[in-house]
Amino acid sequence: MGTTRLDKVRADFLTDLEQAGDDAEAVEKVRIKFAGRRSGLLLDLTAALRELPKEEKRDYGRALNELKTLINTKLAEVKVQANAATVATEPSSVDVTLPGTPVPRGAQHPVHIVRRRIEEIFLRMGYDVEAGPEAEDDWHNFEALNIPPDHPARDDQDTFYLPGGFLLRTHTSPVQARVMESRKPPIRIIVPGRVYRRDSDLRHSPMFHQIEGLLVDEGITFGNLKATLETFLHALFSDDVEVRLRPGYFPFTEPSAEVDISCIFCDRKGCGVCSGSGWIEILGSGMVDPRVFEAVGVDSERYTGFAFGLGLDRIAMLVYGIPDLRQLFAGDQRLTRQFA
Amino acid sequence: MIFDSDWLTEYLDDAPDLDTLAERLTDCGCLVELRERGDGAEKWDVEVTTNRPDAMNHRGLAREAAVATGGTLLPLEFELEENDEDAAELAAVEIADGAACSRYVARVIRGVTVRESPEWMTRRLLNCGVRPINVVVDATNYVLLELGQPLHAFDLEKVRGRRIIVRPAVDGEKLTTLDGEERELDPSMLMIADGEGVVALAGIMGGADSEIGNDTTDVLLESAHFDALSVRRTARRLGMHTEASHRFERGTDPEMAAVACDRAAALIAELAGGRVCRGRIDVCPQPWQARRMEFSIAALSAFTGLEIPAERVLEILTGLEFAPQIDGDVVRVRVPSYRVDIDRIPDLYEEVIRHVGYGPIPSELPILPTSPGRRNPNWELIDRARDAAVSAGLVELMTWSFIDPETDELVATQPLCPGPSLPLDNPLAQTQAVMRRSLLPGLLVAANANFNKGQRSLAVFEQGRVFSLVDQRPLERERIAVLLADEAGGREERFDRLKGIVNDMAVRIGLPAVSWKRGGSPWLDEGAGAELQTADGATIGLAGILSRELAERWDLRHEVAVAELDIERATEPPLSKFRPLHRHPPVVVDVTIEHAADLSYADLEGAVGDLASEWVEDLSLTGRYRDENSLSGAVRTTLRLVYRHADRSLTQEEVNEAHERLRRGLVERLGVALA
Ligand SMILES: [Zn+2]
Repeated sequence: MGTTRLDKVRADFLTDLEQAGDDAEAVEKVRIKFAGRRSGLLLDLTAALRELPKEEKRDYGRALNELKTLINTKLAEVKVQANAATVATEPSSVDVTLPGTPVPRGAQHPVHIVRRRIEEIFLRMGYDVEAGPEAEDDWHNFEALNIPPDHPARDDQDTFYLPGGFLLRTHTSPVQARVMESRKPPIRIIVPGRVYRRDSDLRHSPMFHQIEGLLVDEGITFGNLKATLETFLHALFSDDVEVRLRPGYFPFTEPSAEVDISCIFCDRKGCGVCSGSGWIEILGSGMVDPRVFEAVGVDSERYTGFAFGLGLDRIAMLVYGIPDLRQLFAGDQRLTRQFA
Repeated sequence: MIFDSDWLTEYLDDAPDLDTLAERLTDCGCLVELRERGDGAEKWDVEVTTNRPDAMNHRGLAREAAVATGGTLLPLEFELEENDEDAAELAAVEIADGAACSRYVARVIRGVTVRESPEWMTRRLLNCGVRPINVVVDATNYVLLELGQPLHAFDLEKVRGRRIIVRPAVDGEKLTTLDGEERELDPSMLMIADGEGVVALAGIMGGADSEIGNDTTDVLLESAHFDALSVRRTARRLGMHTEASHRFERGTDPEMAAVACDRAAALIAELAGGRVCRGRIDVCPQPWQARRMEFSIAALSAFTGLEIPAERVLEILTGLEFAPQIDGDVVRVRVPSYRVDIDRIPDLYEEVIRHVGYGPIPSELPILPTSPGRRNPNWELIDRARDAAVSAGLVELMTWSFIDPETDELVATQPLCPGPSLPLDNPLAQTQAVMRRSLLPGLLVAANANFNKGQRSLAVFEQGRVFSLVDQRPLERERIAVLLADEAGGREERFDRLKGIVNDMAVRIGLPAVSWKRGGSPWLDEGAGAELQTADGATIGLAGILSRELAERWDLRHEVAVAELDIERATEPPLSKFRPLHRHPPVVVDVTIEHAADLSYADLEGAVGDLASEWVEDLSLTGRYRDENSLSGAVRTTLRLVYRHADRSLTQEEVNEAHERLRRGLVERLGVALA
């Protein structure tokens, strides 16, 4: 008998609430009628519990609790909606020209932004991204790369030495040697990383970053090297950039090529960045010297390959127009914040 | 090296205009970096690579220019008149170390008048950056710049016993070189001695005692071929670098010794009025032998990716004086004596294609399997760490990998210190003498710099390697460090913010679960420092407020919170698994507990975890209040519990009952009061 009354109250509540809709005042009336603290229907229903015979009390109590939960939950939901509706219908009083709350944004260092862009380009071409130690041994940094002790090329790479015959790698090329020692061709890798040279002036920092590339397979030609570098440089800068290869020298490649791009700032007319030449020297490259293959146990009769390397810091400076290399390592947060 | 454009073109038949010439030289690998106006000619700074000593002189570069422009290299012409006096009667040469000196050529010129050089010669020397001294010395320098052969002129009167002996130095021997420095010698160094003692450092510099002076009348001219390694080692040991050593180290032309000797003798006789004595003194323990090589034009074309006609190949190699012979597809060459860089087939390919030009070679991408590229796990790890920091709103800094030894000593007291320090043998500066064992010093230097530039709010990180020397080998570990400074807020808020960031980063990086234990002193403040420990007791991080002593050491004007994490124990976080979305409403209940200050939140949370009903799906801290007036220093902590049943709605009564059990349990276990 008691539970039928509860069912009726439930039905009335749901109907009233639906009729009240978005109208906050109407909802409040519904609340007072059913859940009001002094005269709400729920109070009556709770009081009625005491009048009931013992055997009915349990079922009635449970049903009453459910009803209470339903009423409270529904009222809470509707109130939220009603509030929202109220705000929406109020006339606008917001100064839309206020600046808004700033969202704190992190940022990567520009050298890493550039590195990841370059990695992305080569990953799409099927290159693996490799890593190696910064504290290297002489073999991988020099000897395996055809730079024996007392080779004049060591003058060009002033080296920091560490105890026990170790050194701080002067380039990322030792990782080439490590990969070729441990893996059979075809090899297609790039190696980004931090390198060190004992040199410090306006254009040189004792610590900087390079990215190295190596491709070894049967029948790799100089034309393959040229196309790969052009493809990469077009992807990094723009398809309009002209790429120029000219002969150069690196102990670990033969023939070697210095690679220039047409100046991205003056379109080859000549400006401060390109020292008036219209060209910017961007990377060094060449066909892997057979001596390197022999040193690391790759069959130099069967395989040919090419290698290239470029300075990440220099690319970052070019891309973002940062004038001084040493600013990159000065630890000033205002530098990185610009790249958030 | 600086070249005089007028001198350079002197050897060329039909030299093109200078613009074309500079362009062609650059195209064939001799980069004309800078052109300046000199006296009567342009001064060209040409980058001649280390492997090409043969082009580090005017005739050598002219040979390249002739091939590059399709011109002809004119022969070297000079006249040498000898008198009847036999040079061999006037001086003798002996080589004691034939490995280090394969040839020694000498000539005697008598009756010279040491005076100033004529204007044309001083002009060229000055254009090339060489200071004129006197006509005899200038003539040797001129021939060096002309032919690449270093020469030395002795005052014959001062060569005791009129004998030259090429030998290793003896321990304890000393020589005062032309620059006035006294050099201590050892047996690893090759010397030029006379009848009584050392008179010159072979291939590097002469001695002051036998120097050409104003009263010199008879000259002994040395034109030798010294071993590159021997000269290089001696020069490095003595810390010297001269025009002569620069060339010998890279390899001079063994056949040039005689020609250059004649040329210089002729110049001296012409300009200093002397007479050249008859005959060369020529001691040659190791006569030069030409290297012969051959290659196939088809292989060259395949290597290049361009069909190169045989005629063009022959034209280039003839111009470069390789005397090519063709036999079907095979080209046989004789490598000229000055080309010390050529001994492998690709070296010959390069000779051809650098003169063909890299421009005409067709670009063609290689064809390889279509396998996708993969990143080495180390890169995945450190970029995950970098991304975690960036998404926590931090800005990346890069600081030096090396630090000063004093700071490094402090790092030894850090719980994360990776081992004994790794010093540099030859640092650039004392402040950069040791490899860093922690990323924090770099960030603290940066914090100081940022504060000094008026930045007050800092939220920065650095990712990089730290180094140590373990078992005599360098050990590298990847780290990430965080530094926060705020204008407003107290240290609790600062610590709280740091912990939030570090915890979030740890999850994103995939670090093992850690518990925060009080610690990190003396780097961190004793009251606000923590070490992060894994379940197996390893410390993989420290985080907290930087101690006052260290803040003072780095002169930081604002309090900073710092953290450093060893990230190498991270594993890639697993893919998130979908959890069913709840269909039943939660019941949210708060509980406020009053407890002594020494009950840590971790213990309280642990107890709640143990005692709470299985319906509790979430537990969070919503408030913490320290009653400053209470004598016991009581703390009120409010926790919010979310009760939910997956399959049905919970009733208020059920929740109340469960919650009451939890409250009673807490009172019983922890002796806390309910508020
Ligand atoms: Zn430009």
